[in-house]
Amino acid sequence: MIQPQTHLNVADNSGARELMCIRIIGASNRRYAHIGDVIVAVIKEAVPNMPLEKSEVVRAVIVRTCKELKRDSGMIIRYDDNAAVVIDQEGNPKGTRIFGAIPRELRQFNFTKIVSLAPEVL
Amino acid sequence: MWSVLRSRALSNVSQWKIISSSNFTRTFCSSDIDNIERNREMLSLNEVEKILTDVRADDVKVLPVPKHVDFADYMVIATGRSAWHVRNIAQALIYKVKQKQRGVKRMLLPSVEGQEGGKWIVIDSGPIVIHALDEKVRAYYNLEKLWSTGTSNEEHTQDLDKAFIKVRRKNNSKKPAQANA
Repeated sequence: MIQPQTHLNVADNSGARELMCIRIIGASNRRYAHIGDVIVAVIKEAVPNMPLEKSEVVRAVIVRTCKELKRDSGMIIRYDDNAAVVIDQEGNPKGTRIFGAIPRELRQFNFTKIVSLAPEVL
Repeated sequence: MWSVLRSRALSNVSQWKIISSSNFTRTFCSSDIDNIERNREMLSLNEVEKILTDVRADDVKVLPVPKHVDFADYMVIATGRSAWHVRNIAQALIYKVKQKQRGVKRMLLPSVEGQEGGKWIVIDSGPIVIHALDEKVRAYYNLEKLWSTGTSNEEHTQDLDKAFIKVRRKNNSKKPAQANA
């Protein structure tokens, strides 16, 4: 359940460290974003000497949420943190590697690029 | 959000993406007839390679995905010379799938990602994932290094080997060993 003002960790090596959600892309008045949704976010904390800087506005895909993700099989997945991957307008990830486990649902939401960069798919 | 709806609507027709994930395969592929039909619809590795050579994609690499990652069996990486070329590679593959399924009531098409950009197009046809990339983009993301088998694992194991070897310290002291009383 990501809403505006939620802080998220960054799960890639793009150079951002922490994001804050400022808008959910999709419907006009959506409350919460879940795994696989695209959000507009501000970089709150950045790694020094990297192309992305603090207070820059970027797009990101949510890859992990504390709110549990239910599957049709009855499996429930819940992570310890809220994390997102920075992407550009075309959907290409800004970073080249992704850290941590990623749910396989992202592939069904057409983020195969992110899945193919991830080290582990749950 | 549309993709979600689409995937739900198609889920009973067993969409390709769902087939690929091993959990679902077990539940869906109960009958052999289903399997045979699916194999006919999907692109095989040989066909993919043939199409890629036909459209003159450079530097085609087929990487088997390591066992512990179960989202696909093979990754095929190909380079295009320009955005047009990359897009044409993708188009050729989709065209082939359509040709293969001509006359079928309901076509199962692979999901294509990044078609507008022409920098990196992923064609996700279940067990085979085909990446068509620009030269620069390919160097940037360096997918070969990530997926070529063994490289990442070897580094870890080497470190572990070093860590686990117990080295007995040499006794350099000049004192004569004291006999315990």
